[in-house]
Amino acid sequence: MLAESTVSKILEHGLSQGADFAEVFAEDSVSSNVSLLDRKIDEISSTNSFGVGIRLIYGDDVYYGYSSDPAEDNLLQLTSNLGQARGEGQPGSFTPLERHNVEDIHHVAINPEAVSKSERVELLRHLDQLTRKHGEEIVQVSAGMVEKHRAVLIANSEGVWVEDSRNYSRMRLSAVAEKGDGPQSGAESPGVLGGYEFFRDLDLSGLAKSAATSALLMADAGYINGGTMPVVLGNGFGGVIFHEACGHPLETEAIRKNASPFCGKVGQQVASSVLTAVDDGTLTNKWGSLNVDDEGRPTQRTVLIENGILKGYLSDRIGARQVGVAQTGSARRESYKFAPVSRMRNTFIAPGPNTVEEMIASIDFGLYAKKMGGGSVNPATGEFNFAVQEGYVIRKGKIAEPVRGATLIGKGHEVLPRISMIANDLELAAGMCGASSGWVPTTVGQPTLKIDSILVGGR
Amino acid sequence: MLSMEQAAELVLTLASREGFREVDAMLERDESLDVEIRNGKAEKIEQSTSLGLGIRVIREGRSGLASTERLDEEAIERAFRTACEHALLQDATGVYLPEVSPYTQDSQSLGLYQPELDRLTAGDLTEFGLEVEASARGADSRVTTLPYLGASRGRSETLLVNTRGVRYQHRSNSVSAYCGALLQEGERRKSGMHFWSQRAWEPQAARETGEQAVQKAAELLQAQPISSRKLPVVLDEYTAPRLLGMYFGAFSAESAQKGMSRLKGRLNEQIAVPELTLLDDPHRVNGTRSRFLDAEGVVTQPLPLVEDGVFRSFLYHVESGLQEDHASTGHAGRGYSGGISTRMHNLVWPTGSSSLQDLCATPEECLLVTQLEGAAGCNPVSGDISIGVQGFLMRNGERVQPVDSVTIAGNFFEVLKNIRGTGAVYQPNLSHLFIPALLVDGFAISG
Repeated sequence: MLAESTVSKILEHGLSQGADFAEVFAEDSVSSNVSLLDRKIDEISSTNSFGVGIRLIYGDDVYYGYSSDPAEDNLLQLTSNLGQARGEGQPGSFTPLERHNVEDIHHVAINPEAVSKSERVELLRHLDQLTRKHGEEIVQVSAGMVEKHRAVLIANSEGVWVEDSRNYSRMRLSAVAEKGDGPQSGAESPGVLGGYEFFRDLDLSGLAKSAATSALLMADAGYINGGTMPVVLGNGFGGVIFHEACGHPLETEAIRKNASPFCGKVGQQVASSVLTAVDDGTLTNKWGSLNVDDEGRPTQRTVLIENGILKGYLSDRIGARQVGVAQTGSARRESYKFAPVSRMRNTFIAPGPNTVEEMIASIDFGLYAKKMGGGSVNPATGEFNFAVQEGYVIRKGKIAEPVRGATLIGKGHEVLPRISMIANDLELAAGMCGASSGWVPTTVGQPTLKIDSILVGGR
Repeated sequence: MLSMEQAAELVLTLASREGFREVDAMLERDESLDVEIRNGKAEKIEQSTSLGLGIRVIREGRSGLASTERLDEEAIERAFRTACEHALLQDATGVYLPEVSPYTQDSQSLGLYQPELDRLTAGDLTEFGLEVEASARGADSRVTTLPYLGASRGRSETLLVNTRGVRYQHRSNSVSAYCGALLQEGERRKSGMHFWSQRAWEPQAARETGEQAVQKAAELLQAQPISSRKLPVVLDEYTAPRLLGMYFGAFSAESAQKGMSRLKGRLNEQIAVPELTLLDDPHRVNGTRSRFLDAEGVVTQPLPLVEDGVFRSFLYHVESGLQEDHASTGHAGRGYSGGISTRMHNLVWPTGSSSLQDLCATPEECLLVTQLEGAAGCNPVSGDISIGVQGFLMRNGERVQPVDSVTIAGNFFEVLKNIRGTGAVYQPNLSHLFIPALLVDGFAISG
C-alpha cells in the first residue's frame, strides 16, 4: 500500500517535529452493496476507499491528519503541518520497522470476488419471495447484502509494521406489514467477519420468517400503559442496552475524561452477583472480532464484570496511559479518516442458570421486550433510552398481547443491580456502533434476563 | 492525483469513448480542522482533506453506480467499468438524465460560503475553545468535568457534471463549537450540552457556549420524574426541529410509492391545523441545504408541502416522478458513494408571535421539553413518537420542578393536528430545519 521507505520517512519526520510517538495507518478498502426494494434490484454500487492517516502523540496530546493522496511529498507535508500546529517538543527516538506476521483467525472460505453479482441478485429475489409468502399484509420488503474488504497497514515509531485483511459480510432484511392501522416493520441484520460462505449458509427461510412475523405481530399490536415495571429482556440484540449503558462508560475514552459512573470502581460491586460480562475480540468469524486492533496490537478477551464485581476497562494507547491500565487491544476506527480510541468488539453478558419460563412466571404485570430496536446513551451520566421493536405484555405470569411503541429508559449503573435472573440462552447479534472514531462493527449479546424494575415509556 | 475538474473531465471522456450517452459524476472535496480542548490545552488537533468521486452510468433505464476515493486515472477507469457492469444488473426503472435546465443565479447569493473562515487556524480555534472551557469552569463550582469540548471549521465543495452538459459547482463552509459539561452534587450527576455553529467568526460566542452548557446541566441537576399522565407539551426551538425533523420522510413520493408513508393517497386532504403552511425552500439564504440544482441537475424551486393545513405536494426526483407521470420537483440528493435518494432542502415552518414564556403560560399545566434522549423509539414510517425527555413541569407559566426520566409518546400525524401555539423565533445555529417552539396537545407522559 505504501513503500516501507516512505513510511519510515514519515515516522522519522514526525519524531523530528518533537512528537514522542508517530503512527501511520493506511487503508485500501472496497465495499459493495446490492439492495432490493419493492421487488426490484434497487441499487448496485461499490466504493473504493483509500487513504492514509498520520498520528503524532506528544505526551497525552494527539495530532491527527489524513489524506487520500498517497504521494510521499504530500504525506511529509501533512506531517509537517501537524508538527507546526503543535510547535514544540523534544524529538523522540525511532525504532526501525519490523514486520509482524498477523495470524488470521477469521478464515474466509469463499472469496467474495469469486462470486458473481448475479448470484447475489438471485439470492435477494429469493429472500424477497420467502418474506412475502408470510401473508399479503406484507406490503413491502427491503433487503440488502453489504460486503466490505479492508486491507490495512499499521506502522509506528516503536518499530511496529502490521498488515491485516478484514472481510465483512452482512445481510439486511426489513419487512413492512399493513393491517389498516399504518405500516409496521420487522427487521433482521445478521453479519460476520468472514467471506461469502456466510450468505450461502444463511437460513434465509428463518430470517424471512422472523422479520415477517415481527412486522405482522406489531401491525396488530396496541400500546402499553407506561410506568415502572419488571421487564424480561430478550436474548441477542437485547444486549444493546448493556453495550450502550455499561459498555461505553467502561471504555477508557470515557474513564480518562472522568465522564463515567464507573470511574475508580474497579474491584467494587457494580452489578448483582448473577452478572458476568465480557468483551471478546477473539471469537472466530464474529462480526465484532479482530486479528489486531487499529494500533496493531493483538486482540484479546477482556472480562469487564465478574459475578457483579468490576474487573477492568477497554483501553487504547492514550486511554491506557492516562487511566493507568494495560492496553486491551481495543483501539478501533471506522477508517483512515479517524484517530483510534477504545471501542467494544463482541460484548455480551454470560449465560446464567434460569429459564425464560421462570422469569415470565415470576411477573404479575410487566413487559417482555422480545426484540430491541436501537437506542442511545449519555456515557457521562449513564442515562439511556431504547426502543422495543417487538414487545408483549406479561400478565399474571403469562405472555399476553403484543405491544408496540414502548421504550425503556433508565441509568445503566442503576439498572445493573436490578438484574435478578439470567437464562442459559446466550445469543449474539451484529450491529454498527457509532462514537468518536466513527462507525465500527460490534456484536452485542446476552441471554434472556429479568430486570426487576425499569421505566417503560408507552401511551 | 487528478484535480476535481480533471477527474470530472476524465469521466466524460470515458463516457464519450465508450459510447454511453447518460453518465454523470459527483465529486466531493471536504476539508476540516478540529480542535478538542481539555484541562487548559488542545488535547487533540485533527486536520483532514478527503476526496471522492461517484459515477452513475444509465443504460436503457437502468443505473449502475461506483465510486472511488483514489483520483488517479487507473482507479477512475476501474470505477467507470464497474458502474457500467452494475447498470446491466439493476432492474429497469426508465430513469434518464434530465435535459439541462438553465440556471443563472450565482451560488454565492445563497450565502453558504465565507472565505475568511478558511483562514482560521488551529490557534484561533484553540483560543476559542479555551475561552469556552474557562467560562464553563467559572460558571458553576459543581462542574466536575468537561468531557466534550471542541471547535472546528469545515469546508465542502461538490461538482456535478453530466453528459447532457450540466456543470454545477457548490461550495459551503462553517465554523462550530460544542461544550458538554458534567455537574455533580452528592450522588446526582447531570450533563448539559450546547452547540454553536455559524458562517461567521464570532469569538464573543465562546463565553455563552460554555455558560449555556453548564446552565442546562445545573437547571436539571435536581430533576425528578413526574407521574404518568396526559399533558400539553412545549417543545422549545431546539427540540422541536430535532424531534419533528425525523418524520418529514413521509413527504417523499418514493416512500409513498413503496408503502412507507402514511401520506400515501392523501393529497389535498386536511392533515394539519388550518394555520399551518409548510414550505420547502431551496433558496433560503444561509440554509444548510440551499442549492440551485439538485443532484440530478434539475433546477430547484420553493415548494409548498402543506397550505392552510392541506397536504399539497410530495417531493419527487426523476425516478419517483416517472412512476406517477409527474415531473421531478428537484429533490434528488446524493453523496459521492451512494445512489439517488429523495432529499428535502430547507423546511420552513413559519414562526408565530408567542415567546417561549407565552407558550408555557397558555395551558394551566404543561411539560416544557428542553432535552431529548435519543430517537430509537421514533418510527419515521408509522409516525410513532416515543422518546425520553428532560425539561420542566410548568404551572401557569412558572417552573414547578425540573423533570427527567420520563418519556413522551404520540404520533407525528396527530401532532400536526394538535398544534396550539407557535413560537416567534428559530434556534440560531446553522440548520436546514426552520421550526420554532411549539405547544402541542395530546402527548402521553410516562414516568
